[in-house]
Amino acid sequence: MGTMHIDGHEIPFQENDNILKAALAANIEIPYFCYHAALGSLGACRLCAVEIAPEDPNKKPRVVMSCLEPAKDGINVSVSAAAARQVRQTVIEFLMVNHPHDCPVCDEGGECRLQDMTVACGPPYRRYRGRKRTFTNQYLGPLVHHEMNRCITCYRCTRFYQDYALGDDLGAMRLRNEVYFGRFQEGPLTSPFAGNVIEVCPTGVFTDAVFRQHFARVWDLETAPSICPHCSVGCNTLPGARDGTLRRVCNRFHPEINRWFICDRGRYGHQYSEHPDRPLTAQVSGVKVSYREALAAAAEQIKAARDRTGGLGSTREDLESNAILQTLLNKLSGRFATFSDPQLETATTAAVAALQSSGGAPSLSEIEQADAALVVGDLTTHAPMMDLALRQAYRTGAKLAILHSGPSLLTRFAATTLTVAPHEIGAHLLHLNEQAATASTTSNKHENEKKLADIATYLTTAQRPILIGVSETMAAPEITALAQLANALGSRARLAYALPGANAYGTALLTPTNSTTAMLEAIESGQIQTLIVMGNDPLGDTRLGARWREARQCLSTFIVSDCVATATAEAADILLPVAAWTERGGTFVNYEGRAQGFAPVFQRAEPLPNTAEVLADLAHCLELALPDAAAVLSNIFPGYQAPLPGTLGSSLSAFPLTMQTETPIGSAPLGHPGHWQVTLASWYGDDVLASYAPALVELAPPAAALIHPTAALKERIEDKEQVRLRGPAGTVVLSVQLNNDVAADTIALARVTLAQLGVGHGDLLELERIS
Amino acid sequence: MEAVLTRHLDAHAPLSLQAYQAAGGYHSLDAAFDHKPEEIIAIVEAANLRGRGGAGFSCGLKWRLRGADAPRPRYLVCNIDESEPGTFKDRHLLYGGPHQIIEAVIVSAYALQAEQVVIFVRGEYGKGGHGLKRAIEEAEKAGLVGSNIKGSGFNLQIKVHLSGGRYICGEETAMLNAIEGRRPNPRHKIPRPSVKGLWQHPTTINNVETLVNVPHILLNGADWFRALGINGGCGPKLFCVSGMVQHPGLFELPCGTPARELIFEHAGGLAAGRTLQGFIPGGASTAFLLPEHLDVPMDFDPVAKAGSRLGTAAIIVLDDTTCPVQATLNLMRFFARESCGFCTPCRDGLPYLAQILTAIADGEGRAEDLILMEELCNTIGPQSFCAFAPGAVMPLTSSLQCFRDHYESHIATGRCPFDAANKSGA
Ligand SMILES: Cc1cc2nc3c(=O)[nH]c(=O)nc-3n(C[C@H](O)[C@H](O)[C@H](O)COP(=O)(O)O)c2cc1C
Ligand code: SF4
Ligand code: SF4
Ligand code: SF4
Ligand code: FES
Repeated sequence: MGTMHIDGHEIPFQENDNILKAALAANIEIPYFCYHAALGSLGACRLCAVEIAPEDPNKKPRVVMSCLEPAKDGINVSVSAAAARQVRQTVIEFLMVNHPHDCPVCDEGGECRLQDMTVACGPPYRRYRGRKRTFTNQYLGPLVHHEMNRCITCYRCTRFYQDYALGDDLGAMRLRNEVYFGRFQEGPLTSPFAGNVIEVCPTGVFTDAVFRQHFARVWDLETAPSICPHCSVGCNTLPGARDGTLRRVCNRFHPEINRWFICDRGRYGHQYSEHPDRPLTAQVSGVKVSYREALAAAAEQIKAARDRTGGLGSTREDLESNAILQTLLNKLSGRFATFSDPQLETATTAAVAALQSSGGAPSLSEIEQADAALVVGDLTTHAPMMDLALRQAYRTGAKLAILHSGPSLLTRFAATTLTVAPHEIGAHLLHLNEQAATASTTSNKHENEKKLADIATYLTTAQRPILIGVSETMAAPEITALAQLANALGSRARLAYALPGANAYGTALLTPTNSTTAMLEAIESGQIQTLIVMGNDPLGDTRLGARWREARQCLSTFIVSDCVATATAEAADILLPVAAWTERGGTFVNYEGRAQGFAPVFQRAEPLPNTAEVLADLAHCLELALPDAAAVLSNIFPGYQAPLPGTLGSSLSAFPLTMQTETPIGSAPLGHPGHWQVTLASWYGDDVLASYAPALVELAPPAAALIHPTAALKERIEDKEQVRLRGPAGTVVLSVQLNNDVAADTIALARVTLAQLGVGHGDLLELERIS
Repeated sequence: MEAVLTRHLDAHAPLSLQAYQAAGGYHSLDAAFDHKPEEIIAIVEAANLRGRGGAGFSCGLKWRLRGADAPRPRYLVCNIDESEPGTFKDRHLLYGGPHQIIEAVIVSAYALQAEQVVIFVRGEYGKGGHGLKRAIEEAEKAGLVGSNIKGSGFNLQIKVHLSGGRYICGEETAMLNAIEGRRPNPRHKIPRPSVKGLWQHPTTINNVETLVNVPHILLNGADWFRALGINGGCGPKLFCVSGMVQHPGLFELPCGTPARELIFEHAGGLAAGRTLQGFIPGGASTAFLLPEHLDVPMDFDPVAKAGSRLGTAAIIVLDDTTCPVQATLNLMRFFARESCGFCTPCRDGLPYLAQILTAIADGEGRAEDLILMEELCNTIGPQSFCAFAPGAVMPLTSSLQCFRDHYESHIATGRCPFDAANKSGA
C-alpha cells in the first residue's frame, strides 16, 4: 500500500500496518518482546524503539515504539540510530534487574527470546546493586511448569490465554514490579489450549512440564516437520527427539491451518509413543519373537487362507498404509474395510461425500473469518483447534449457535445453544432447513422453535456463515441434512465436518461401501479366517466391541499391527509393532481434504518398521508383487504426488464418493420408559493415541452419569446418587452428576463407559436406581 | 477574593439538598437548560477554564473537540481519584459539599449531551463517596437527576465508582479500564477516549475541581471568571500547602497567586529560625523549585516556564532541616510502589532509581551514581507508556539539579548531614 525507508532499505507496507509488522514481513529485525503476530501490539515492553527522522529538518528526530507507530509513506526509520539503541539497551538492563542470572539451569535455554535480545541489544555488565525480587511458583497441573522469577512482564501469556483463547483461570495479578502471572489458586490450567503459553512466553516462566521429565537441550533435539496425529484438523507440528526417544511436540506455523498454536492434545498426546506398555517386540501367540519370525508366521497363515483373508485399515493410519493394505487384499482377492463400526463408516463417508460436493471445507483461517456459525456436536473435543478458530470468529462478533445433546465448552460463547436428545438432532436440522428457506418468524413459538428461528436468522443474514458438524456423533442422514442446509444458504455458506481420525478423510476415500458390515458378517459366517488389523481397535469399539470380540473367536488367525497396546493388539495371535508417527514418514488427509506429508523425526535405538513397510514385507513373503506406495496412490488418485513434509499440503484429485443412504431422519426409535438416550461426553484429551499419554489422562474428568436436573427430578434421582446402567455388553455403576447442558431423556457418558456398556452415541440404555 | 468553590463547604455537616438549594444551589440548571449545549461549551472555552487535574488542558476546547456529533451513548467521567501526594483539594470538595459536585456534573453532562456520568472516587475516600451517593439519591428523588430533568428533555444517570485504590487509577485511561472492571493499566491513546472511551463509547474525563467551576461560569459569565484570577491566571484555584510550614491547609485564592504569598501568608510561613530550601509547586510529580522562584505566579504557564508544573497546585515545602535526598527518595519510593507494572522503564526503572537513592541516603552512594540516575531518567521519562513515569522522574531530575551539592556530600562523606544536624539539634 505504501513504502517507507528503514535504514536505507525500501520497505513496503500494507494498510494499517505498524512499522514493526511491516519490517518483520520484510525480514528486517527490530528487537521486540510484547508484540506477537497473533496477539498484536501492546506497547508494554518498550524494546521495539526506532528513530524516525523529522519531516521538518529543523525538528529533532523522534524515538518511537515501532509496534505502535503506523507505517507511513516515505518516512525514514532507523533501527540502528544511537538514540534507539540506547533505549533498547536500557530496557534490557531494566528487564535483567530482577531476572535470575542462571540461564544454565533454565529450561528455556537455547530458545529464550530474552537471551537473544540481551545479546542483541543489551549492556554487557550489570550496574544494579540491589537485591532481586523473588516470587513463589504455582502448581499449574501436569502440562505446564511455572517459574515466575523469569517473567519479563510482556503480558503475552494472558493475552493469549484470556484474550485470544478465552480462558479465564490464568491472568495478571498485583502491580508494580510484582505483577504476577498465574492462577488465583494453584491447580491445573483448564483451557484446552493452555500449552501454548509455553511458546508465547518469551522466557522460561512457562515451560513444558512433560518435556521437563525427560529433558534435553533444544539444540540437541532432532526435529523434522510433522503432522499432528490426534484429530482430523491436521495441525503442523515440530516434534523433538533425542537419544532415540521423543521428548516434546511444538507448533509449526501453517498459514491456513493452525498458524501459531496447537491444542494440548496435540502437544502432549505424543506421550503414547513412550508409554511403558507400548508394543515394541513382535509376538506370536503371546511369545516374543523377531520381526522376521512374526512376518513369516503371518505369511504362512495368509497363504493358507488367501481369499479368506480380511484387512481392516484405520482412520488413524496414514494414506499409504491404507492404500497398500487395500491393494494387498485385492491381490489376495480378500476383503478390505476400514472402520470398526458401520455407523461410523456411513457417517464419515457421508461427510466426505458432502465436503466433496460442497466445494471443500474452509481452512481454520477461513473459519476465523466467519460471521455466523452453527456447530452440531461438541467441537472442542473432536477438533480442538477448529474450536479455537471459532473463538476468533466470536471475538470479532460472529454469532455462534450450537445444536447438541450434551456439554460443550463452546456453549459459553454461543448466542444460541439448542440442547436436544440425539434422536431429535436430525428433525431439528430439517426444521432449520425449512426456517432458512422461508425465513418465517411466527411469534408464540415453543422455546426450541424460537431458538431455531434465531439460528436461521444468524445464518441467513450472515455474509460468511459456516456450518460445522462433528461426524462421530452424527448419523449419516444428519450429515446430509447439514449439507443440505449449507446448500440452501447458497455459495456464501461453507461446510466443514470434524472427522474421526487424523486420516479419516483419506481413509474414507479408500473405503468400499458398507464394508464394515460385510466384513463382520464374513467373519461371523466363517468366510474370513485370517484378519489383518492395522492401527485399529475393533475389540475396543464402544458400540460393537463385544460383537468383534465374539467374531474374533471365529478367526483362525488374528494379525494386528499397531503402536499402542489396544484391546485388539492384546488379543492378537500375531502382533507386529510398528513405528509411531514421529518415527516414520507418511501422509494424512485432513478434514479439508488436504494431503499433508510428515517426515520421520528420529529413529529409536531399535527401529520399528512403519505399517506400509510391514505390508510390503508381508507381500514379499507371500511372493506377491506389490507396487510401492507412490505407485499405489497414483493409481488411485490421478496425478498423485506425495506432498512434501514442511509444505502447505495439496488436495487429492479423488473420485466423488456417493452418499450411502441409511434410515431416514425421523425413523429412529423413540425413547421409552426406563430408557435413556446416550450422548458421548468427551473431553479435549479424548483420542485413542492420547489416551496413552499419562499427563493428559491425569486431567480426564472422572467417569460419571451426567443427567439434566429436570430429568433427574422426574425420575427422583439425586445428585451424586449411585445408579446402575445396563447396556448390551455389560453393566456399570456410576454416580450421577446433574448437568444443565444435557438434553432431556439423555444421559451423557464418557467413552470408556460407552465401551463397557457396549453402546454408542444415540443408543438406548437402561438406568436403574440402587436403593 | 471571595470564596467561590469553597463557600458552602462543610466537611462535618455538608449542606442537604434543601439547604444547598436555599443557598443558591442548582440554579445553574435553569441557566443551562436555557442555553444550547454548544453555547455553554463556548462560554466555558471563553472563560479559559484549564483542567485542574494536573495537565491544565482547556476544558472548553476538550469538550468542543469531542464533537457535537459524537455517537451515543456518551459518557462524562468525573475524576475524584486524587492520590497525588500533597494534594487534598478534591477531598474537601467531596466531603464538604457533594451537591456542588452533582450540580456541576449535570450542567457539564448537559453541555456534552452525555447521558451517563461516572464519578470515580478514590478508594480511601469511601465515606465521602457514600455521602455523594446519598446526595445523588436525594437529587434523583427531587427530579434533578434522572429522566427529563426539570422538563428539559435531558436525561442523565450518575453512578459513583469507588476505586480499588491505586494512584494509577487517576490516569484517565487507566480509570476507564478500572470502571470497566479490568486491570487499571493505561490504554494506548490512539484513538482518544473522546472517540473510544468507556466501553468504546465517546468519553470525556475531567477533574472534579475543573467541573465545579462550570456552574459558576454559567451563572456569572466568562469575563467574571477570567477576572477572578491575577497575574494572568483565570478563575479561582484551590491550593494545598503542606510540608514544613506553620499552618498547612487548603486555600482558595485567585489563580496566579505567587507561591510566596501562599507559603508565607496563608500557610503561616516556616517555623522560627528556619529558612526555605525549596518547594514542590504542584504535587509529587512536579519538579522542585528554589527560593528564587517564590514570586512565580502559581498558574500553568509561569510555573512551566520556571521549569516545573502547576500540576495539582499542591505546594510541599522543604525547610533547611529537610534532607532533599531523603525527600526525593521518599517520593521515588512512592512512585516505584505505585507503578502499574505495565511498561518496562517505569516498572523496573523506578525501583532501580529508588535503590540507588537508598544507597546514597544510607551513605553507600558512588560517585558515578548521579550520572547513572540521570541516564536512566532520560529513558524512563520519555520512553514509558503513560504520563506517570515522566511525572515520577521529575522530582528526581530537578532535585539532582537543585540540590546536587547535597547528593555529592552524601556520597563523599558516606553519611547524611541532616541526620547528624537534626540529631544534635534534638
Ligand atoms: C499518573 C497519573 C495520575 C493522575 N491522577 C489524577 C487524579 O488523581 N485526579 C485527576 O483529576 N487527574 C489525574 N490525572 C490526570 C488525568 O489523567 C486527566 O488528565 C484529568 O483527570 C483530566 O481532567 P482535567 O482536564 O479536568 O484536568 C492523573 C494523570 C496521571 C498521568
Ligand atoms: S509469564 Fe512469560 S508471557 Fe507472561 S508476562 Fe511473563 S514473560 Fe510474558
Ligand atoms: S486440533 Fe487436532 S490436529 Fe490440531 S493439535 Fe489438536 S489434536 Fe492435533
Ligand atoms: S509509565 Fe508506569 S504507570 Fe504508566 S503504563 Fe508504564 S508502568 Fe504503568
Ligand atoms: S514490542 Fe513494541 S513495546 Fe513491546
